Amino acid sequence: MKSPILLLLLALGLLTSCSTQPEPINYGTDVCHFCKMTIVSKTHAAQAVSNKGKQFKYDAIECMVNDLNMENKAEMSILLVANYLNAGEMLPAEKATYIITPNIPSPMGGNLSATANNADAEKLKAENGGELFDWNALKNRKVQPNHGHH
Amino acid sequence: MKLHLGIILFFISSFAHAKTIEVCITCEVKTLKEGINLAEDGDTILIKKGIYKEHDVHIINKAIHIKGEDNPVIDGENKGTVISIRGENFTIEGLTIINVGRSYTKDFAAILVSESSNFTIKNNILENVFFGILLEKSTDGLIEGNKISSQAVSEANSGNGIHLWYSKKITIHNNKVRQMRDGIYIEFGDNCIVTNNRAHENVRYGLHFMFSNYNEYHYNVFEENGAGVAVMFSKFINMSNNTFRKSWGDASYGLLLKEINDSELNNNTFDQNTIGINADGATRVTYIQNDFTNNGYAIKVHGACYNNTFKENNFLHNAFDVGYSGRMNYNVFDNNYWSSYSGYDLDKDGIGDVPYRPVRLFSHIVNKTPESIVLLRSLFIDMVDFSERVSPIFTPAELIDENPRMRRILWSK
Repeated sequence: MKSPILLLLLALGLLTSCSTQPEPINYGTDVCHFCKMTIVSKTHAAQAVSNKGKQFKYDAIECMVNDLNMENKAEMSILLVANYLNAGEMLPAEKATYIITPNIPSPMGGNLSATANNADAEKLKAENGGELFDWNALKNRKVQPNHGHH
Repeated sequence: MKLHLGIILFFISSFAHAKTIEVCITCEVKTLKEGINLAEDGDTILIKKGIYKEHDVHIINKAIHIKGEDNPVIDGENKGTVISIRGENFTIEGLTIINVGRSYTKDFAAILVSESSNFTIKNNILENVFFGILLEKSTDGLIEGNKISSQAVSEANSGNGIHLWYSKKITIHNNKVRQMRDGIYIEFGDNCIVTNNRAHENVRYGLHFMFSNYNEYHYNVFEENGAGVAVMFSKFINMSNNTFRKSWGDASYGLLLKEINDSELNNNTFDQNTIGINADGATRVTYIQNDFTNNGYAIKVHGACYNNTFKENNFLHNAFDVGYSGRMNYNVFDNNYWSSYSGYDLDKDGIGDVPYRPVRLFSHIVNKTPESIVLLRSLFIDMVDFSERVSPIFTPAELIDENPRMRRILWSK
């Protein structure tokens, strides 16, 4: 009688211990995996979870992009980026639209922000100028601090 | 002849108009904004004691001097930036600015200076601010004697005390910055000088350099900040005579070095920090005559640190003098004083006759298993450390101070 419940509990335990769910970012405490800065910006943070459940947190989207471009990087099952227009909300990286504009600085100098959809991004572009990208275009790009715009 | 007359007229007009505009509750001019509308190049706006509820005060291309008498208070009522200014040759002095608005997407400041040059911001008191003094694309400025504070609890909803963005040749002298996110943040800033400031209880860093080259900071005190100073992605930084104290806790450092080249660190004091210096990607940095006292780790060296020189430093009573996360060493330790050195000096030349190995094996064990720190003062660990010193297996074999000093090195403070 008890054994199915026990089995269920065991299975649950196994499931949770191998969870690939993203942990919430502790702003002000967690440190960026790539640049070691404390994560503070609720409008620019990013995070990734590997297939094995390892958590990676970043203070800026450019840090995640640069980190993913490193050699021997683990396979990621979840990639999230902060919604610039709704502080604290994390969006799936593949579905977000990105803007790079010198008028919206980001923590690591990439001037890169993410929005939930194309319409939001177009609106930001109309106000601030800049260039729009989808995830595929962005991830192959080396996002460097922009020294050249002043 | 006409030209001469023109020049003469120009001088007369410019002198004739250098006037002082008084602003007070009972004056003809009652607000700062009115005063600024009336002011022309060279004028002084004298603001008398009182409380002025004003925000979004814009000053564009007016070389004026704003001077507070008996600390007049400008209350921004939590609505955006209080004073924003763009121009040349201006001064903002003696004001108390309180209650700056907060935002996730806009960097509201007590004083925002953009695309300006030759200015002075002096002896102001900024309280309950989001950003204190924010400089954008400005050069040749002096920021002196200001007191900036807020009640930053978490980093996310707080701004920086003094923030330089794409600014050059700025002098930051004798300011006090407390309870902000970063006390002073220099982002894309070159040729700046930071002296005699006091940054304490800031949530992230006391002083922060990012993508900034050819800067120097001296005689500053950093106390109880998340980290005292962080120098990241920068070159040619000269750091001397600073005090880094009481950065205590997880991810807390006196000084955090991350991707820094060709810099000097002389005559600084690191006292009671979890980690005195945390170096990751530091290359060609010299550390001469610094004191490391009562830290958890005096220095922790991570990957990619090449050609660093540690000379004539005092390592006094740290739980660990040097922590290394690898077996390789490309750095030089020479002529330092180590309080835990137990060698002898038979020829009495002041230099120990047996070399000193600053990396304890136990620091490796603690790195791998943090809980093992409870064994810190145990005899067993002393034995483990001793055997590793005799024949190094896990620690970098060539990491040796060949000339450990027998006495503390004296350098003038």
